[in-house]
Amino acid sequence: MDIPLESTIGSWAFPRDEPGKLAGRPLEEWNAAYGKVESYFNALCVRNKVLLGQLVIHVLKRAMARAPAEPHRSATELAVEELDRVVTDWFAQVLQVPAEGADPLLSTRGRLALLLADMPGKWQDQFLRPGPWPDQFVNAMRQAYLRSGPDFQLSQMSPREFDLGPITTLTKFSRLPYVKMVMVWATFALLLILIFYLTH
Amino acid sequence: MQPVLTESAPRKPTPAHVGIVPVRPPKRGLRVFFFFSSAVVLTGAVSLLFADLLWRTGWSASRTVLLVLFVILFLLAAIGCMQGLYGFVLRILGDRHRITLMTDYHERSIAGTSTALLFPICNEDVVRVFGGLRATYLSLAQTGELHRFDFFILSDSTEPNKWIEEERRWIELVRELGALGRVYYRRRLTNEDRKSGNIRDFLNVWGKRYRYFVVFDADSVMRGETLVTLVKLMEANPAVGLIQTVPGVVNASSLFGRIQQFANRFYTPLFITGLNFWAQGFANYWGHNAIIRTEPFMQHCDLPRLPGRKPFGGQILSHDFVEAALLLRANWQVWFAYDLEGSYEEAPQDMIANAQRDRRWCQGNLQHALVMFVRGLRGISRLHLLFGVMGYLASPLWLAFLLTFNWIRLSHKFSGLSDITVRAFTPYLNLTATQHAFVVFMICMVVLLLPKCLALVELVFDTARRRAFGGLRCATASVLLETAFSALHAPLQMLWHTSFVVTSLLGGSVRWGGQRRLAGGVTWRTALRRHWWHMLIGLVWGGLIWWFDRPVFWWFTPVLAGMVLSVPLSVAVSNTRLGAHARALCLFLTPEEISTPPELAELQMRMVVKQKEPGREESLPDAGLAEAVLDPYVNAVHVSLLREKRLNPVYAAGLEKLGVGKPEIRAIAERLLMRGPGALSPQEKILVLNDADVMAWLHRQAWLRPTETLASWWQVALQRYTR
Repeated sequence: MDIPLESTIGSWAFPRDEPGKLAGRPLEEWNAAYGKVESYFNALCVRNKVLLGQLVIHVLKRAMARAPAEPHRSATELAVEELDRVVTDWFAQVLQVPAEGADPLLSTRGRLALLLADMPGKWQDQFLRPGPWPDQFVNAMRQAYLRSGPDFQLSQMSPREFDLGPITTLTKFSRLPYVKMVMVWATFALLLILIFYLTH
Repeated sequence: MQPVLTESAPRKPTPAHVGIVPVRPPKRGLRVFFFFSSAVVLTGAVSLLFADLLWRTGWSASRTVLLVLFVILFLLAAIGCMQGLYGFVLRILGDRHRITLMTDYHERSIAGTSTALLFPICNEDVVRVFGGLRATYLSLAQTGELHRFDFFILSDSTEPNKWIEEERRWIELVRELGALGRVYYRRRLTNEDRKSGNIRDFLNVWGKRYRYFVVFDADSVMRGETLVTLVKLMEANPAVGLIQTVPGVVNASSLFGRIQQFANRFYTPLFITGLNFWAQGFANYWGHNAIIRTEPFMQHCDLPRLPGRKPFGGQILSHDFVEAALLLRANWQVWFAYDLEGSYEEAPQDMIANAQRDRRWCQGNLQHALVMFVRGLRGISRLHLLFGVMGYLASPLWLAFLLTFNWIRLSHKFSGLSDITVRAFTPYLNLTATQHAFVVFMICMVVLLLPKCLALVELVFDTARRRAFGGLRCATASVLLETAFSALHAPLQMLWHTSFVVTSLLGGSVRWGGQRRLAGGVTWRTALRRHWWHMLIGLVWGGLIWWFDRPVFWWFTPVLAGMVLSVPLSVAVSNTRLGAHARALCLFLTPEEISTPPELAELQMRMVVKQKEPGREESLPDAGLAEAVLDPYVNAVHVSLLREKRLNPVYAAGLEKLGVGKPEIRAIAERLLMRGPGALSPQEKILVLNDADVMAWLHRQAWLRPTETLASWWQVALQRYTR
């Protein structure tokens, strides 16, 4: 799937186009469609303007091809649908997932792979380009997988109820911790009281 | 598809680990006896003197109450004083009985160990949390032992914006550090049992993979070398279940924050050395910056609910003390590694934030009054728990002491009797009643201020420490000003703590949200709202004393001044410019301010860079939700994490219980598209965010549907991606 860079406006024109229209739709409609598609590529962090322009045009041309047959759909709807299709098909190819009956969350996996393979940083020129792709890129895409933790080793901590029996404890007074120490201090306190009593 | 994982920490405990039999810690009864006897003897002597003073003007029931309150309060002060005194002596003479000197651990290998570093968070400042984690990670990487540690961000966040920001920052961090498979992020479905439940959840899923785990607070940073040392210490001391470091307070910028930071760094070494003298292997756990042996913790430290109603019943809020007590009960040792540097935390930056933190801790500590009676606990554990309780109960007792004193003076005035003092100890001491009162007062002052003086004296003998605090002159001025500020702050603490205790006892609940740690400055309006009752009490109380007992009024001025001046004081000390000005004047300098350790410098630099980034959160309400739906990468990360969650049977059951996967959620999502997040309740937003399929569907729909058919909120959100 090569993406030729068409430089003349003539390549956009359709035979039946009236003035002020492209593929049977007003120019403003395609402008809006362009904006939406460009926004999505922006969201994917395709920063290179040349690449961005190529990708948007590629998607819009596919939408324009559909436009005459689907007059009730807006240009933006068609363009965004094509965008979704182009991106998902490309993910299927790169990730080697059959396009038919693909994982319904293929798009999610593909986007995650783009991020982990650092498409925005290293591989912008490979995005939506037909294969073959550099091995490093393909490996990075295919091996990308997110984990919130290592493999589980499930176990179950179980609380042991507290025995809060102060009365029970008090009945075993002699076994209270530091009881001897407390007794010494109590004797000391009694001594102080005695001194106080004797001197007053 | 095989996961991409860097080599992770070894997964199975070694046989040496499995074979550990806890050894009963050596008896430290004599140390405990001598230490507390010193405090008791001092309290006894001064109480006798005070009782004698009371006797001289005629005994009464209210005087008995006053004496009892005095004894309790003085005993607490005396214990603090003794800790400072013992600490001072040990630091001068050298303390050999500490965990770092008990075994030769330096050459110990940590090969074969696996340690998890846990960052339990709940609606915290995400940039700060990840900044701290990053600084710790980089510091650990420099030790060459990084591969023996795994990092876990254990989120309990309930605010969608925080949740999504955490995921975004996490993926940014792992990509930046190349730490996929080394730094993990997991969010619980519900924050049942708060922090202790969060840790338990981790242990139930991954605990068996790790021989040790280190708990961090949201504002913790630890030096890599310190972490490696902790693991070595655990390896060298197989009977030790937990080692608590003493985190130094750092990164304060407001005047209040810097005063607290100085007090922490300047006085804590003395107190903690004294504490270690009597605690030894029966120390305590403060909830973070501590390494824990996983197996005994899992076996003994799952906390049950306490019977009865609030404030004592229900979930144990301050779990750390109790967990240490349970480890000790099972004959595992718990130590303070108080001489290990490179362990840091941050503290509240103003008086109000400080009080809010105390409010959260108060109820938890009061619960310990019940836990103290749990059978089988060690006596020292009961002491730790008791001190935790008294940390808050002392305030109402002090207030009661002051009021009882006023009552005695007032009732005397209205009795019409004249002041006739009788002879008591005066034949032996030869003191007038006024001199007698002054002696008691001065002893109290000495007991309160002695540790501060000793910390200064220590500086004279320790050149390196002296330099670290900016020299003796700067440190002395700082101590004097800190003492003056404490005198003004203490009455406010007394009123706040009293209200917290009363509220807790009446069953008022505590909201356990994120803590406000950043210095933002307290406005006059906020200060007035929070302190008006302090001012009112100060004015009314002062007016009454002025009216019925003018000489006593002057004795009460330090207490009253703090209350009356609370509003300007609160505003002033929260000011970061005053904090910087004090620093320029060499006041409240700490070692980390004079020579910033690399891990803190890294964190500070990171925070500056991140604060300059344009904020995403403030621009749009529910920005996190918008980002999770619209941003292709954030959405992919979010959905992937949700999908992985289903692999855990406990979480899968939890998701099912929440209703995830039901058609109703699709209907809620449809409402979100058509009417925006304002049409959803907070629970509905969380529900949508928890459903992987719905989130993937929303991403597609939000981009596919014509913008004009979406709620205006989406149109604003989509504009972020328009060039």
